[in-house]
Amino acid sequence: MARAMMRRLVFGLIAVTGVAVLAFLLEFVVPGDPARAIAPRAQSAAVLANIRAQLHLNQPLVVQFASYFGNLLHGDLGMSYVQRQPVAALIGPRLADTGALALAGVLAEVLIGGTLGVLAARHDRVRAAVGAVNLVLLAVPVFVLGLVLLLVFGYQLGLAPVAGGAGPAQIVLPALTLGLIGAPWYAQIVADQVQEALASNWVRTAVGKGLRDGYILRRHVLRNVLSPVLTMAGMDLGSYLSGVVTVEVVFVWPGIGLLAYNALQNLDRPVVMGTVIVGAVAVVAFNLLADLARMLADPRAREEA
Amino acid sequence: MPGDAGRPAALMARDVSVRYGPVRAVREASLTVGAGQAVALIGETGSGKSSLAFAVARLLPRSARVTGRVEIAGTDVLAADWRRFRGERARLLGCVAQDAMAALNPVLPVGRQVGELFAVHAGMGRRQAAAAASAALASVRIDHPEAVARLYPHQLSGGMRQRVMVAMALALRPPLVVADEPTTALDVSTQAEILGLVAELRERVGSGLLWITHDIGVVAELADWAAVMYAGRIVETGPVEAIFDAPAHPYTEGLLLTRRDLRSGAPGSPLFQIPGAPPARPDEAPGCPFMPRCPRATAVCAAREPPLLPLAGRGEAGHQAACHHPAPPGAPPAPAPARARTAAP
Repeated sequence: MARAMMRRLVFGLIAVTGVAVLAFLLEFVVPGDPARAIAPRAQSAAVLANIRAQLHLNQPLVVQFASYFGNLLHGDLGMSYVQRQPVAALIGPRLADTGALALAGVLAEVLIGGTLGVLAARHDRVRAAVGAVNLVLLAVPVFVLGLVLLLVFGYQLGLAPVAGGAGPAQIVLPALTLGLIGAPWYAQIVADQVQEALASNWVRTAVGKGLRDGYILRRHVLRNVLSPVLTMAGMDLGSYLSGVVTVEVVFVWPGIGLLAYNALQNLDRPVVMGTVIVGAVAVVAFNLLADLARMLADPRAREEA
Repeated sequence: MPGDAGRPAALMARDVSVRYGPVRAVREASLTVGAGQAVALIGETGSGKSSLAFAVARLLPRSARVTGRVEIAGTDVLAADWRRFRGERARLLGCVAQDAMAALNPVLPVGRQVGELFAVHAGMGRRQAAAAASAALASVRIDHPEAVARLYPHQLSGGMRQRVMVAMALALRPPLVVADEPTTALDVSTQAEILGLVAELRERVGSGLLWITHDIGVVAELADWAAVMYAGRIVETGPVEAIFDAPAHPYTEGLLLTRRDLRSGAPGSPLFQIPGAPPARPDEAPGCPFMPRCPRATAVCAAREPPLLPLAGRGEAGHQAACHHPAPPGAPPAPAPARARTAAP
């Protein structure tokens, strides 16, 4: 098991490196001059050349590449062109806020999707209704759902703050948005797995043992559904940590996604790179954690590894 | 039928029918397992034997319609309120399934699965239930029961898994144990172990046993009484010796001939085989469902389905057969005009 984990860790490192290199090169392909973004009203070419020189943008690509990745090996993500702060200092607090949102979002989708899935598996009529709801949720774009929730719960009902800051009240609507968007996938998997389990011989054994339906569902069936759900939740957590851009922009949630969005618009290359690398690390790390969780939940997976 | 006089019969089934939509899988089957008695229910795949067994346990899916009357140790099973019966079932009967791997939860340690019986039905705490589970595992001759209790089903051998099933079935000392071909998936030596174990435990606990099998060889070793099922009906029933020594129904005769050939036939000699196949929808034709395969069939067999009746002139009490032309007592088993085939080398 430890060897399998080591192998995955190595693959993960390769993946992160690949993503970083690709992102770095992409920034040079994208048209646009960071100097112009920093000083949009500068008239003289000398001022712009001066800015480029300060940022070492006048050096050959190979030199810039070597210097960036050399610093990266020392844990230095560089300075933001625009905000004149270390990228790490910009990302740090936002990572915490994005983490809170990602966790709340995953919790919401597991709870909503899991409940819908269990209901669908147990009642045929609910199954049809859940299928329809799933279809609608899958078809709605994230930003539309976010705006609808804002309109209904924020403006009309006044139940939740519309935007601003990262507090426990402000997290409700963006987390709900993530939860509703992700829920259909969980509902589908949970419904299939629960239905399969309820038809299994071992559930018949449990019924024969005189156990109650609720007990069988909690202790027997859901234990079996846990491992695919944990795998999915882990992967979602990783990808949400790498930035839930749309949701953060719609709700002005001060997280990685919003940071990356603004950095992209300002051609703030070090910040873009920083968010890409942190995101890639998050995806890889949470995939590993998801594997570990699956092994904890399913004894058979432990031995396969 | 024999059994302890003082106690009510472990199982009394009267005119039990099971239908899945338009298909009648079991038709008016009656069966009694006396207290502490072992009864074998013999039949081939599709004969309705498993449907009958699950019907008496009320474990069939909801799509199945069950009619008739079933009592386990005096408790009316089919009439009982579903919720109440569900709680009582484990005290009334234990089930040993055919495929223990599929019948055990793959992600729970086997000790927990045995222990929850004690936790739920005897109100034991976690530690007490675990100790009781270990004791139950030890009673089915599992060495190091505490260690085995922590293992998962896939970590056990087939024989061990079946022992766990037996331990669960007998944990609450129920008056009836229903075993659905529990040795089919096991190798021969493990089969013998499980058979011996069940026989011994049954005696110790005093449970009645309904053993479902297609292997007529198992019957002689284990059961006092046998019932043969064909196409959803019980076609012959009686004491095991009577059925083995003087089978009356041509289907039973055929089963015994098959077995005799398997045991003593010379290598390469043709194996006896009952010609034809069971009908897919036996309730559609008016006559005896075995008629197309029967060497003694006459016009009456096509017209009327024979009822299950006591055999006249037989020494053994309770020997019954559903046949218009039962074999006379003492007659050698009639070799049917069989399509013979060469035994595989």
